[in-house]
Amino acid sequence: MLERAGIPAVSICTDAFKITAAAMAMSLGFPGYEYVTVPHPIASRTGQELVEMARAVVPEVLRILGVDH
Amino acid sequence: MDADDLRRAMEYYAEQGWTDGLPVVPVTESYLAEFLATTSRDPSAVVIPMPHLNRNLTVRLAALNAALAGCKPEYFPVVLAAWDAFLADGMVSRAIWQSTTGTAPFVVVHGPVRTRIGLNCRGNLFGSGFRPNATIGRAIRLGAINAFGLRPHVLDQATQGTPAKYSCCIGENEEDSPWPGLHADNGFAAGDSAVTATVIRSVLHIEARHTMVPEQLAHDLADTVCRTGALVRPTASVFVVLNPEHARLLDKAGWSKRDLTQAIFERGTKTYRQLAAAGKEAIAAGTGWRLPADHPDAIPQEAPADPDTPVRLLSDPTAVRVVVAGAPNAGVSSVVETFGRPTGPPAIAKVETHSP
Repeated sequence: MLERAGIPAVSICTDAFKITAAAMAMSLGFPGYEYVTVPHPIASRTGQELVEMARAVVPEVLRILGVDH
Repeated sequence: MDADDLRRAMEYYAEQGWTDGLPVVPVTESYLAEFLATTSRDPSAVVIPMPHLNRNLTVRLAALNAALAGCKPEYFPVVLAAWDAFLADGMVSRAIWQSTTGTAPFVVVHGPVRTRIGLNCRGNLFGSGFRPNATIGRAIRLGAINAFGLRPHVLDQATQGTPAKYSCCIGENEEDSPWPGLHADNGFAAGDSAVTATVIRSVLHIEARHTMVPEQLAHDLADTVCRTGALVRPTASVFVVLNPEHARLLDKAGWSKRDLTQAIFERGTKTYRQLAAAGKEAIAAGTGWRLPADHPDAIPQEAPADPDTPVRLLSDPTAVRVVVAGAPNAGVSSVVETFGRPTGPPAIAKVETHSP
């Protein structure tokens, strides 16, 4: 939705929702839309674990955005 | 056409994924036309828009799925009214059927249409055995699967779901009830046919054959209404499906439906200590969901000086909707845990009559 509005964006979901993410992209007319996955779950992790997970996916987010780093 | 052709057609429908797992009824254009003839609405009219999925449920798709589900054409006006009520309820349009919570459609039918089509409102209410109940509820579920593409493991992300997802359609037992029906409480004429709809998480059994005391019955119900396992929002929201025997017990003691909802509201508490034992004493910023007070998302709050201070788990008496249904043969009722409109009037739509 953000990208339709001209704002570059990267979707991040946990690996438990990969199939759904692909199906949503298809429904919205973006088959093959690239997104980042992180390990499931989110809700039962500590703040520190979440920070580490977020750090780990930054390169992948930048790659999809097409940013050199 | 012989039996093999029929079986091949049914297998074809199953292979396409146009089913809830059970065989569906093959539908021809002429059979579909019989359903569409029961309504004055245009087949292409949109009943439920779902813009975030690029899909719409049209009158034609609603009819097609009613036919697939095994409805008779004369049930279709009830199916349409159910969809109208789901639109009014609002949660379906907010993608609730994609959620991990895994809610099922819940449909309650009121008024003369129940007897006209033979919809069960008495014994084995939530059980099997009655074609209108089995197929009207299924028509909604198949509509979700086929019109919106909400298939399990794909766009339907339910973690466990509920058996009610096959079908959960009941009639209100107005004949054995001492009180007016839910539709009559909400501005419809008692003689109108109408449908209440919302989304539910579970149907919980209440065994209360032991008492003639209204307050004890209200307490027994309130205990289930406020169980911590169901609390995700700050407060609970339920339908109480009261069997006619319980309704008569209350009526005999001079209680109205409002007296019952008020009594459940007043008893609808847990102590801070009980909530904290389950880690549900605080509310999250953002989602508004319950969580422990020491969670980083918790809205800061003062714990009460006395941990046995009661905390209200119903925002007001309208969070409890009372329907009378089931056989008048025992003190067995149920609490239906909803996830739709939390308070205020339930979503009810009139069944339209149409003579082609």
